[in-house]
Amino acid sequence: MTGKDIFKITLNLVIVYLIGGFILAFVYANASPKIFKNNEKAEQDALKLLIPGAEFKKLGDWTIHDKHAKYFEAKKDGEIAGYVIQSFGKGYSSYINTFIAVDKEFTVQKINILGHGETPGLGDEIETDWFKDQFRGKTIEHLKVIKGDTKDDIQAISGATISTRAVSEDAVKNGVAFLIKTIKEGGSTDVQHKQN
Amino acid sequence: MSSTSKISLKDQFLNGIIKENTIFKLALSLCPSIAVTNNLKNGIFMGLAVLFVQTMVNITISLMRKIIQPKVRLPIFMLVISGWVTITQMLMAAFVPDVYAKVGLYIALIVAFASILARAEMFASKNSIVPSMVDGLGMGVGFWFALTVISFFRELVGKGTLTVPTGLASQHVFTFINTKPVLIMVLPAGGFLAVGILMALFNWIDARYMKKAAHASH
Repeated sequence: MTGKDIFKITLNLVIVYLIGGFILAFVYANASPKIFKNNEKAEQDALKLLIPGAEFKKLGDWTIHDKHAKYFEAKKDGEIAGYVIQSFGKGYSSYINTFIAVDKEFTVQKINILGHGETPGLGDEIETDWFKDQFRGKTIEHLKVIKGDTKDDIQAISGATISTRAVSEDAVKNGVAFLIKTIKEGGSTDVQHKQN
Repeated sequence: MSSTSKISLKDQFLNGIIKENTIFKLALSLCPSIAVTNNLKNGIFMGLAVLFVQTMVNITISLMRKIIQPKVRLPIFMLVISGWVTITQMLMAAFVPDVYAKVGLYIALIVAFASILARAEMFASKNSIVPSMVDGLGMGVGFWFALTVISFFRELVGKGTLTVPTGLASQHVFTFINTKPVLIMVLPAGGFLAVGILMALFNWIDARYMKKAAHASH
C-alpha cells in the first residue's frame, strides 16, 4: 500500500463520516425542540394523572440512590392541594422510578411506576392497579410490607418481595419522609436537599 | 455470491423469510430477540423497527457501494447502521412519543444486530438498489415473523396472556388463563428454550414440506 492509497482511503472515510455527521446534526436540530416539548408534556400528563385538575409548580430537586429526582406542589383554586414527589427504590434488578402524590397531611393518595427493569412475570406486577391502589390513604407509618393478607399495610406480591419492598419501604417511604422533613418541618421549600 | 444477484426478486424476498431466516436458520441476533420477546406487543414493534432499519441500511449501502473503499468498508457500514438507528430514534421521539416511550429502549439495540451488518456486507455492497431493497425487506419480514412467533409463544405459555397492540400507543391484554402456566418461558432462560423449540419446529416444517415442494418442481 503506497502513501497515496493511504491518503485516498483516509479521505474516503473522513468525507463519509463528515457527511454522516452533518445529516445527524440536521435531523437532531429539527427534532430536538419537539422532543423537549414532548418530554415536558409527558411529565405534566403524568402529574395530572396523580392529582387531577391541579396546577403544578416545581419546588426543587432532591437526591436518592445518587439519582436526581424532582418534587412539585399541586394547587387547586389557589390553595395547596398536595405534593407530588419523584423517588427511586432499589429493586431486585433495577431502580424503580416512582411518582408519589400526597395530600396536605402527607397521606399517600396515589402512586405511579414510571420505569423499572424488574423481572417480567414476577416483579413487574408492581405496575398492576391492585398493587398501586394499596397505597391510597396510607400514612408513612403504614408502608410496611407484610407477606400475607393485610389491609393496614402493604401486601407483598408473591414471588416479588424485594420489588414490593423497594417500592413501599424504599421509594415511597423515603419520598414521603423527605416531603415531611423539608415542607412540614423545614418550612423552606427551595433548598437543595441531600438524602442518602 | 454472484449467483444470488441472478435469482428473481420474489425468491430474493422469500430467501430472507425461509431459507436464510435470521433467527430460525442463521441463528443471528439471538441476544436482543430473547431480551424483548417476553410479550407479543414488544416482539411485533421490535420486528417492525428492524424491518425499517434493515431496508434503509440496505438501500443506503447499495447507493454508496461504488464510492466505498473496500479496506474501510466496515467502519462505513457501522456509520450507516448507527446513523439510521439514531435517526429512527430521534424521529420517533419527536413524532410518536407514546410509542417511543415503550420501545425506545430496544431501538438502540439494533445497532449491534449482526444480521444487519451481515446483509450489508454480503448483499447490499455487491448489488444494485432494487435487489438490495427487496433483500432488506425479505430479511426484515423474516425477522419480524420470527419475533412475533417467539413472543406469541412465550407470552401465551409463560403468562397465559397476549398483549395485542391496538394502535401505535394503545394495547389490549387478552387473558386466557388466570395463572402463570410456565413462568420460566417469560424469563431469560425460557427465551433460549422458546427459540430452540420454535427453531426445531420451523426447520422440521421446512424440511418436511418446503423441500418436498422444491423437489416436485424439479
